[in-house]
Amino acid sequence: MGQILKSIGEVSIQGVSLAKSGRDILNRISFNVTHGRVGLIGRNGSGKSTLARVVCGLIKPDQGCVLIDGIDVFKDRHQALEKVGILFQNPDHQIIFPTVIEEICFGLTQQGQSKDTARQMAQAALEKFGQAGWAERSISTLSQGQRHLVCLISVLAMQPAVIVMDEPFTGLDRPTTGKLTQILREMQQTVLHISHDLEALQDADRVIWIEQGKLQMDGAPNVVLPAYMAAMDVVGGQDAFADITD
Amino acid sequence: MEKNIVIIALFAALIAALGLVPKFTLVSGIPITAQSMGIMLCGTVLGSRRGGLAVLLFLLLVALGLPLLAGGRGGLGVFGTPWAGFLFGFPCAAFVAGLIMERWRSDNIPLVAGAAAVIGGIGALYLIAVPYYMVATASGLDQALVTAMLPFMPGDLLKAVLTGYITAGLATARPESLLSRC
Amino acid sequence: MLSLTSPIKTGFHSVPVGPKFASLMIASIVLFINNTLTFQALAFGFVLGLYLWPGTAFFSVGLKMLWPLWPFVLIVFLWHLFTQDTVAGVVIVLRMFSAVAVANLVTMTSRMDDLIGLVTWAATPLRRVGLKPRILAVSIALFIRFLPVLIEKGAFLVESWRSRSTKRASWRVVVPMALLALDDAETVAEALRARGGVDLVDD
Repeated sequence: MGQILKSIGEVSIQGVSLAKSGRDILNRISFNVTHGRVGLIGRNGSGKSTLARVVCGLIKPDQGCVLIDGIDVFKDRHQALEKVGILFQNPDHQIIFPTVIEEICFGLTQQGQSKDTARQMAQAALEKFGQAGWAERSISTLSQGQRHLVCLISVLAMQPAVIVMDEPFTGLDRPTTGKLTQILREMQQTVLHISHDLEALQDADRVIWIEQGKLQMDGAPNVVLPAYMAAMDVVGGQDAFADITD
Repeated sequence: MEKNIVIIALFAALIAALGLVPKFTLVSGIPITAQSMGIMLCGTVLGSRRGGLAVLLFLLLVALGLPLLAGGRGGLGVFGTPWAGFLFGFPCAAFVAGLIMERWRSDNIPLVAGAAAVIGGIGALYLIAVPYYMVATASGLDQALVTAMLPFMPGDLLKAVLTGYITAGLATARPESLLSRC
Repeated sequence: MLSLTSPIKTGFHSVPVGPKFASLMIASIVLFINNTLTFQALAFGFVLGLYLWPGTAFFSVGLKMLWPLWPFVLIVFLWHLFTQDTVAGVVIVLRMFSAVAVANLVTMTSRMDDLIGLVTWAATPLRRVGLKPRILAVSIALFIRFLPVLIEKGAFLVESWRSRSTKRASWRVVVPMALLALDDAETVAEALRARGGVDLVDD
């Protein structure tokens, strides 16, 4: 599943802070990712999803910035489109167009490709994933797992150097998750993988734990994951449904 | 029965949502609100009766004090302005648009929906809004047309065209979703 | 979803909605009967007094709610200056401000729950055409429950767009939004039916 990358994705998160309605969501987060697959874990409400969006350039941090290969992803949206893509949780909240080929072509035309070139590239992307016949398929006829794949192909077709994935395989059955995770492992881009599925992160290159908007731990999976699980067991003993306070 | 109530309530909420989703405009660079297009869509997708009821429910919630109209306006006060004729015209617009979708059985959905949006969403709407404006402001037809209709015409025509495309898009994605065609 | 009820407490808040609404109807009729400048000026002064009585904070919120009327004021003055009928123009503007302000006053001083009660009561004659009060209550509840959901889904779709384009999200996202609304409708109708449905027995 080799792809010709335009560049290596080096992510530099520098002192990112963000508050909403008086609450601190992200608090001076800084870390660098130069390659490989980095897992991002944390409780619900810890700020992971917000961080994902800041890394993509969709939200402006109150302080700090995110540079990918030197590009400020919020300030320079044009360049950011070439650098980073994001895969969200629910394909139904993500897929805009009615047919597969249109959905894949969208990002390509927005990057400046002509309609014909975009179509060719989209068809090629489908073939690479063994779904050449999907082009004119209506999204409504696809299963959830198939829709997840369409979203993934749509992002990969744009050839970003970095991909952020916000719990992308939620609600999928085991075989489908297995297949999609396999694709993930073979990707050469830098991947920031937000997940509750700790099993999927066992073989990540690095795991970062975010707690209440701050960097709690950063290291190898076999170090961070057990520490996280231990802490979560403690929390489970308390009120896991309570509002998260600072 | 439950299905009808729920779909009416949800489409009423859709009209409101179209005015409240952030960072979204119908056409790049042109400041027109999506809300009146929501009215047209209720007609073309839900049909005359359900579409009309959805719009009535929306207006009821505006009257109850929710800031659902473009610009965060709402409450009983909006029904006291000279433009209240538009509000009173909205349910009729949806009804007429729905009627046309139901009766004109051509397979060219974008055309039929677009025409329904024009006849209902523009024709029927201004037939009520303009005379209301004239009475409310004691002005003549010429002033009413110039100040209450002309500025909105281009935007409304655009919305009617878009309604055609959107309705067609829904019909292609899920044919049974067009309740106006069941 | 926050309603337009003002958190600033006034004497009007404790007046029941029925009489308030009835007064509004009477006031609206009265405002439209008399066309003299004197009457309209006095009426407007009176309305301003109603807003000043609870204090300056309430007064300024009330003024803010009248701001959207400015295009009309401009139009009327331009048109009437052109036809040199300034007095008529002033009368129309004053009347409109009074009518809207009085209506806004009811909205600002009434709780939504009370207004829903009023509506349900007023809708009792509609029972004969099939509108049971429970249907109205359920519809309103569904609307309030699902509006934030639809807005959120719309926002996700806009994010999906913005993550792949530098242009603002366009009408294109309305199709998946409407589909999501239709899907939600399916699920919710099932849930409603599973909980006994809308009570179709006359209560």
